[in-house]
Amino acid sequence: MNIVLPLIALVVGFLAVYRYAPAMPPGWGDFVAIAILAGFDALVGGVRARLEQRFDEGVFVSGFFANMMVAILLAYFGDKLGVDLYLAVVVALGIRVFNNIGRIRGLIMTRRIEDRNANAAQPSP
Amino acid sequence: MGVATFWHGKRHWTLSMVVVCLVLGALIGVQVHSQKLRGDTEVGRQTGALVSMLTTSQAQLDQHQKEIERLRARVAEYELEVANERGMARLRNEELQHRQIALGLLPVGGPGIQLVLGDSTMRAGDATGTQTLYVIHDFDLVQVTNELWAAGAEAVALNGQRLIPGSAITCSARLIRVNDVTISAPFTFLVIGNKENLVSALNIRDGMLDRLRVLQFQVELTPLDEVVIPPVAVPPQYQYAQPVTEEESP
Repeated sequence: MNIVLPLIALVVGFLAVYRYAPAMPPGWGDFVAIAILAGFDALVGGVRARLEQRFDEGVFVSGFFANMMVAILLAYFGDKLGVDLYLAVVVALGIRVFNNIGRIRGLIMTRRIEDRNANAAQPSP
Repeated sequence: MGVATFWHGKRHWTLSMVVVCLVLGALIGVQVHSQKLRGDTEVGRQTGALVSMLTTSQAQLDQHQKEIERLRARVAEYELEVANERGMARLRNEELQHRQIALGLLPVGGPGIQLVLGDSTMRAGDATGTQTLYVIHDFDLVQVTNELWAAGAEAVALNGQRLIPGSAITCSARLIRVNDVTISAPFTFLVIGNKENLVSALNIRDGMLDRLRVLQFQVELTPLDEVVIPPVAVPPQYQYAQPVTEEESP
């Protein structure tokens, strides 16, 4: 049930903040959106690493927060410089998320096919 | 290894996943919450705009009401004066005087400015172009006049010629004519109006005087406490325009 606990955590985190959060200063919206995207990218990357059996919680958690910070900083400085670095971050992270999801799907599918082949081979002694 | 066993791993994986998901969920919560609030304030802002429009209209309404009251008082005054023939004559005389000033039929005096414009000290050959670039043309004077009226001038004379509605500044055979009288450089404008306003309006960046100064035209602008402007020599004649009374107008 390893996948259930994180999902519950996601919902709990959402509801807790959604219910009781004070109003965020206007102008932070873009940065929070970027942070969410970066966080989601790290999450998907973590799942993929787990499936490829090279997961390390230190790398995962530090990557999650560091990516978020870097994404926010890039968007912030882009904003200050008048360059849409925000878009660069969105595009880069979006591509990564899609790549990782594709890899995850591929890995799960490969496992299923291997499973089926193993099951088919077993009954005949 | 099957899919089911595949998902079973160290507790650390679950723990770090839970932490990360909690944070991510919280961030999404903040974002969704503030997006919803933003939608609410958008409605609030529109309401605010409508309220301010209403307030402005109310203020205008009040102003119009005051104007109506003022005009009513004026009507009452007239009615009162009608009873008294001499009073009526006095009022008519006042009214007439105002119209005469507006038409330039009376000499007028007051604070204002004097503006003298002379041809440029530059000569053809100093720079590119011919000498016509460095003399003052009728259209320069028209533009200066326009700027004077725009700056709130109440009476203007150019080289002693009172400018009235219908005064034309023209050029024929290299002679400038105003009110059908030929004038020549230097051109002296006498203007009655608010001195500070006139000076600052004429000296505005990239204005007419600014452009003349760049080409080294002689520009002398002096504010004066007392300017006397002569009346127009030939009052305008109206041959075609006839007054239209309220009932006749469409």
